[in-house]
Amino acid sequence: WGSAPATSLLSLAVTSEQIEHLHRRFKQLSQDQLTIRKENFDSIPDLEFNPIRGKIVHAFFDKRNLRQESDGLADEINFEDFLTIMSYFRPIEMNMDEEQLDRFRKEKLKFLFHMYDSDHDGKITLQEYRNVVEELLSGNPHLEKESARSIADGAMMEAASICVGQMGPDQVYEGITFEDFLKMWQGIDIETKMHVRFLNVDTIAHCY
Amino acid sequence: MEVVWAVGQVGAVWVAVVFGLIVLPSALGISLGISEAYMWVLVKTLEWATIRLQKGVKKPQPQMPQTPTANGIIERDETPMEKEIARLHRADFEFSHIFYFCRKGFEAIVEDEVTQRFSSEELLSWNLLTRTNVNFHYISLRLTVVWVIGVIVRYCFLLPLRFTLAAIGITSMIVGTTAVGQLPNGSVKNYLSEVVHLTCSRILVRALSGTIHYHNKENRPQKGGICVANHTSPIDAIILTNDGCYAMVGQVHGGLMGVIQRATVKACPHVWFERSEIKDRHLVTKRLREHVADKSKLPILIFPEGTCINNTSVMMFKKGSFEIGGTIYPVAIKYDPQFGDAFWNSSKYNIVSYLLRIMTSWAIVCNVWYLPPMVREEDEDAVQFANRVRSAIARQGGLTELPWDGGLKRAKVKDTFKEEQQKNYSKMLVRNGSIG
Repeated sequence: WGSAPATSLLSLAVTSEQIEHLHRRFKQLSQDQLTIRKENFDSIPDLEFNPIRGKIVHAFFDKRNLRQESDGLADEINFEDFLTIMSYFRPIEMNMDEEQLDRFRKEKLKFLFHMYDSDHDGKITLQEYRNVVEELLSGNPHLEKESARSIADGAMMEAASICVGQMGPDQVYEGITFEDFLKMWQGIDIETKMHVRFLNVDTIAHCY
Repeated sequence: MEVVWAVGQVGAVWVAVVFGLIVLPSALGISLGISEAYMWVLVKTLEWATIRLQKGVKKPQPQMPQTPTANGIIERDETPMEKEIARLHRADFEFSHIFYFCRKGFEAIVEDEVTQRFSSEELLSWNLLTRTNVNFHYISLRLTVVWVIGVIVRYCFLLPLRFTLAAIGITSMIVGTTAVGQLPNGSVKNYLSEVVHLTCSRILVRALSGTIHYHNKENRPQKGGICVANHTSPIDAIILTNDGCYAMVGQVHGGLMGVIQRATVKACPHVWFERSEIKDRHLVTKRLREHVADKSKLPILIFPEGTCINNTSVMMFKKGSFEIGGTIYPVAIKYDPQFGDAFWNSSKYNIVSYLLRIMTSWAIVCNVWYLPPMVREEDEDAVQFANRVRSAIARQGGLTELPWDGGLKRAKVKDTFKEEQQKNYSKMLVRNGSIG
């Protein structure tokens, strides 16, 4: 299937079987084309229920996640890009040392940060935060916008208190930077929550 | 001249062998044990092949969960949404929620439960058919030699044999039912029609090298009832008629299928609908009701999923069949994919290439369970009844139940489903007191 991006994938430490599975899935989604566009994600029924579906699909095309130098959104991604995004969700391996674990965690949090920071300016502003909360609660006729706003406001206040300490009455908290974001998540174990684990599909003797 | 005579002799011998060893026993309903011997040889060969494959695989296994499942390639956390979000809960709810939905989203992108059901079940071990050789690479010379022998046996011996049998079966079905159809209505006609149908079914099952195990025969569908089964392929009907007589329900087709339909309906009251009639649900229900009300008529056979699913799960049953009334006799059919994949992926293969694949597989092995009859209860509506029957079938056959509609093969998710899910989520939020 075209050029095999060997070196960049070695760092992912996924087995060749998993890559084959993912490639088959890629071909299914792209309908045998070489690239996927946003529309191709419409064919996944399970994804329809997800309130932050838009943000997840968006994340696949976000150039910051694709480790590309430029900014903004890509129109389409190829299989290598697909694998790059999937690598944010790989589980921890047993043989990782402290430094690797730390880098691992930072990468996952960075992915999440990008999801919140929709204008790519490196800060999560109150408005962006509200957007995310509204999306999470979207489609529910019983919850009003006010609830979404109050949740977002409360969260920003807490973020401010963690990161900046006590603020004066006329101090304005501009937005959560990535360092603040990391601080908020200190001590919380996300590595085991933010992953998709493959089963080991092996040859097994079938005896009748 | 001599050549023609020699070919004629060979042809005659061939037909005599086929007739004597296969057609005659099917007519009488006895078995000579040839297929059992064939299966035994096949099983031994496949076991040997699997052991060779295992020896060939030398990769060190990383620490990963060992549960193999034919139903998925990723480990899914089945905890309900509430528990999982509560686990992550810190002070602000939406971070934990975003984790949950992020992960679910990724899982859906890697593998979604629905699309998976419309492609063939993946085998955990190669069964020496090229079409299933997706994960396995060249292992050894001996294995390849066995595989080549297998190809020769399948294509040069089994395929012509099966083709002959199928031709005999279909021809005798058409001729037999037309002949029986000339008789005046009565018990003689019914008896003969049953004989003809059964014989031809048995011939056709042998044409596919089918080995079928029927369980709980005491629950076999009775006259005036409705037989309901999960659908995997067009040959499901033949599998069931091999053991009993049913009145088929379906749309009138053109071509060979149409000829068969027209012939068989003369002998036995099958229910064939014109294309225009099928759209009128009331007309369909009315005709079926009339048929069921007549207790002397054969039970009708219906596949409520509406489309072929890959035999690892049972999808939503359309409620139409359950509104007719009468007693429902559920039947679970589970194929063994090791010997041949019976699933018809209609978007990938047309009927002819599907039949060709079936006839060049090793065999079709399946289990059929007859379940105890069910009747709709007072306070149940058609949908609930349909779900109850579906659960029974899924449980017996070891299939997973999915709430999805088989129509998703071609269409998108209905909005009603989405709203249902969103309501669940918001109910949970309000309950947790996270809002207000």
